[in-house]
Amino acid sequence: MKPKVAIFDLTDCEGCEVQILNSKFIDRILEGVEFLHFRLGQRVNRWEEFDVAFIEGAVITSHELELVKKIREHSKFVVALGSCACFGGIAALNNFIGVNEAKKYVYGENADKIETLYIKPLPEIIKVDFMIRGCPIVPEDFERLVSDLFAGRIPREHTRPVCMDCKSKGNACFLLEGVECAGPVTYGGCGAPCPSSGMPCDGCRGPLEEPEMSAELELLKMIASKHDIVRLFRKYAPMAPLFKEIGVRIDDSIR
Amino acid sequence: MIVYDEYVTQIEGHGRVYFDIKDGKVDVRLEIQEGSRLFESLLRGRRADEVPQMSSRICGVCPVPHNLAAVQALENGMGIEVSEQTKMLRRLMISSQMIVSHALHLYVLAAAEYLGVNGVSELYAKFPEAVKRCVRIRRVGNRGIEIVGGRAVHPINSIPGGFAKLPSKKDLKNLAKDFRTVLDDCVETFNLFAGLKYPEFERATEYLAIDDGKHYPAYSGRLVTNRGLNVEAKEYRSHITEVFKPYSTTKFCLIKGHGFHVGAIARVNLFKDRLNPIAKELLESCPLKFPSDNPFHNNLAQALEIVHYAEEAIKIAEELSVTLKDEERQRQTKAGTGVGVVEAPRGTLIHEYTVDENGVVKEANLIIPTGMNTTNIEEDLYTILTANIDKPKEHLKRLAEMLFRAYDPCLSCSTH
Repeated sequence: MKPKVAIFDLTDCEGCEVQILNSKFIDRILEGVEFLHFRLGQRVNRWEEFDVAFIEGAVITSHELELVKKIREHSKFVVALGSCACFGGIAALNNFIGVNEAKKYVYGENADKIETLYIKPLPEIIKVDFMIRGCPIVPEDFERLVSDLFAGRIPREHTRPVCMDCKSKGNACFLLEGVECAGPVTYGGCGAPCPSSGMPCDGCRGPLEEPEMSAELELLKMIASKHDIVRLFRKYAPMAPLFKEIGVRIDDSIR
Repeated sequence: MIVYDEYVTQIEGHGRVYFDIKDGKVDVRLEIQEGSRLFESLLRGRRADEVPQMSSRICGVCPVPHNLAAVQALENGMGIEVSEQTKMLRRLMISSQMIVSHALHLYVLAAAEYLGVNGVSELYAKFPEAVKRCVRIRRVGNRGIEIVGGRAVHPINSIPGGFAKLPSKKDLKNLAKDFRTVLDDCVETFNLFAGLKYPEFERATEYLAIDDGKHYPAYSGRLVTNRGLNVEAKEYRSHITEVFKPYSTTKFCLIKGHGFHVGAIARVNLFKDRLNPIAKELLESCPLKFPSDNPFHNNLAQALEIVHYAEEAIKIAEELSVTLKDEERQRQTKAGTGVGVVEAPRGTLIHEYTVDENGVVKEANLIIPTGMNTTNIEEDLYTILTANIDKPKEHLKRLAEMLFRAYDPCLSCSTH
């Protein structure tokens, strides 16, 4: 019997779902699983027991808050798909600005009629079994997780920083050139597309399990302002553990 | 509260068509319930060189136009002039994006309803060749964005002043070759969508696209319509108004108090004379004619554009594979406010930013194609439901959703 799969999108750009469609193995995915719930890809959807539910996007409304709890009840495994689900994503930058002020800037006098919650990462709301990180995810991470799960293996986590990917591409080091880069503390496995395209890593995959955060901050302080260091880690994974405290940590060490 | 299962399926984002019929009169609302990420707020205080990357996160289906509208607006605000080569590379990115996004919409989202299947899995089971064709087209289109922008979903190196890294001549040459290999697939896509039976419906409206005086709409230009509007993009606020509706997180756009239509159908209606040769020939031999006032024909216009933009990509990639040269990236010369305008797959996209003398964004305003289409969609829905008022409710619901889907709405974008 085919594994029963659901893909849900909350508030986000749907780019991680697009990355699934961009998978080299999309034909095998379409043949190999039964989509019980896949709003983007089909008309009739059913709430039965899901072997795996993928949740993409951030929880921004109270409706989404209820929805993720319902998904959890229906699923053997829940996978957070992409950095909005894993770490709050780019919209969580408004947490630091103040949600009410942010709403007022966009909606003016109608701000009160718009509901936006303080954005928490999905693992702080429901039990999440696995995470596929990145803004966007890389299809290879999705392929690996799916093939592991359906073969009965426990999917493995990466343990290397983006620097390893970057070195294997033969890129020059941004930090050595005095440009702030999140690579040394960021969860690798992405293939370092940003440094390979002439831009530093912006930490979209969140931190490694035990990153050398203090060393990274010491290094950054030599080349960048406090503001620019905070800016570096407050982008696509702003509510990730360790990243979200960086503003505070830097203040402490300056004191 | 609207629940997830009531959202219209096979569109980007979350919304539904609410309608009620009382005493022979239709009450209809386009309820867009996408969560508000408040992009205009969160882009403030960010550096100009990171804003185009961040604004592309508005949409994973069409990240390129958001990246490029931002780049163009920031350059205008900061007094940066870019080279013809840079503009060509940007048109190559847009051409590639159009192909990728249109193929996704046509095959993965729109085709199912026309071909009588539930969705993309059943489509693959019953029409494997169609899905494989879609995959082949999208792969090459993605490659085009990747070669120039560094990554297909959320480009990396396209920043104010040009590119952090240029593609190689060899990559461009191979890209042109790759596009040639899928030209037949693009034509086949047009033939498939030219052969579908579209619901009969017509309503005359105003069509808007950008005009640079030379190209089929893509990278920059004036705002023009079929009803005589012809203004500089930076004057957009005097002509396009936004209205808040309590049932929608997307603001509704109007020109002179009424709806207007942007997107593939608007571009074909206004600029079919500028289509590339193969696309032009296909259109001439097609029994369905443009300009068309049938919004369902937007799907056919998209299929036609897949051919046009593939031809365009080949042209640009071939030329640049010979002429490409290293260029110095231009730097900021002033502080100020700038407007950027590009064609996204779903229509004209406007970004506006104010940048201070340190290159930090102080103000942001974004007008999104699907936001521009909202009023027109509601007007269309009212007209089509009124014309079919005696049909069963379930039939009306399917028809209304099909019409909404034909616009290829992107609600993540429109609410942003």
